[in-house]
Amino acid sequence: MDDEVADMNMALMVDGNAVAGELQQIFGRDMTTAVARCAGCASDAEMGALLAFTRGPGVVLRCPTCRAAIARIVETTTAIYLDARGAAYVRMGSRP
Amino acid sequence: MQPALEWQVGEVTRVRTETPRTKTLTLALPKWMAHRPGQHYDVSLTAPDGYRTERSYSAASEPERAGEVDLTVERIDDGEVSPYLDDVLMPGDQLEVRGPIGGYFVWDVSLGGPLLLIGGGSGVVPLMAMLRHRAAQKAPIPARLLYSSRSAQEVIYRTEFERLADGDGELEVVFTFTRHAPPGWTGYQRRIDPAMLDEVMQSLGNGVRSYVCGPTLLVEAVSNALVAMGLPAGRVRTERFGPTGT
Repeated sequence: MDDEVADMNMALMVDGNAVAGELQQIFGRDMTTAVARCAGCASDAEMGALLAFTRGPGVVLRCPTCRAAIARIVETTTAIYLDARGAAYVRMGSRP
Repeated sequence: MQPALEWQVGEVTRVRTETPRTKTLTLALPKWMAHRPGQHYDVSLTAPDGYRTERSYSAASEPERAGEVDLTVERIDDGEVSPYLDDVLMPGDQLEVRGPIGGYFVWDVSLGGPLLLIGGGSGVVPLMAMLRHRAAQKAPIPARLLYSSRSAQEVIYRTEFERLADGDGELEVVFTFTRHAPPGWTGYQRRIDPAMLDEVMQSLGNGVRSYVCGPTLLVEAVSNALVAMGLPAGRVRTERFGPTGT
């Protein structure tokens, strides 16, 4: 990736808070304070603090420490796809 | 359990021009719920051909104002949504929203302080909800707002900030202008940097809770600086607004 594209991606980045509505739609609860552990580097981050790339056809959430993709969300007219293979786990409080 | 996140149709009851580029829409909501300051609403627009798009806007009002919420919208010239919200919507119009949303970038008086709020451009909106809530609760929690704008004309809520700070010894509002400072301005005239953060934070003492909201590059620079200055990363909450420049 050349520097210009990298800079543009960086400027377009938002954070997990920006997709709080989509996450709440999927999980039925607020997920921004749920903790995701990165399957790549094992760091923990609240999902609201994940780096979010939302300008593509779907949403990509990345680890703020190592930038690996933790989750991808794509919504079609009939279904929502959640690929969360980049998370070792997601921990949420038992009482939302 | 929190109630399911449902779309509802709100009615625009007031439109107020804040700056040449920003307006505040007051929405009356049939299923209003008190928000936590910092939370946002998703706004959905559907075109006549069925094309649907959503954007998130932070609540600007304090949760003490029951039944309605203020959303302050900055006009992005080539935007899909903001020109409609800013130029077309009038009192009496309806708008589809869901919220309040998010539990990460939130502060209320129960969390205490001292509070360090740093905003760039329209990133000041959720910080204003925090300050209005703090004022409504008459909470004497030490608070500083450092607000970066391109010019004085682009400062949102300017007179209200002055009024809030005037009667409140624990609140200080500091402006910095990155392009054009008003004539005679003796304050900051540059992007936020570690020296500025250090000066603004000096009188706040230990245990600072920090909320940083604005364009992505500003948020990156400020949050990295705060952590480098020794604030625990868990006490530096960020909300990135994307590419809008200041």
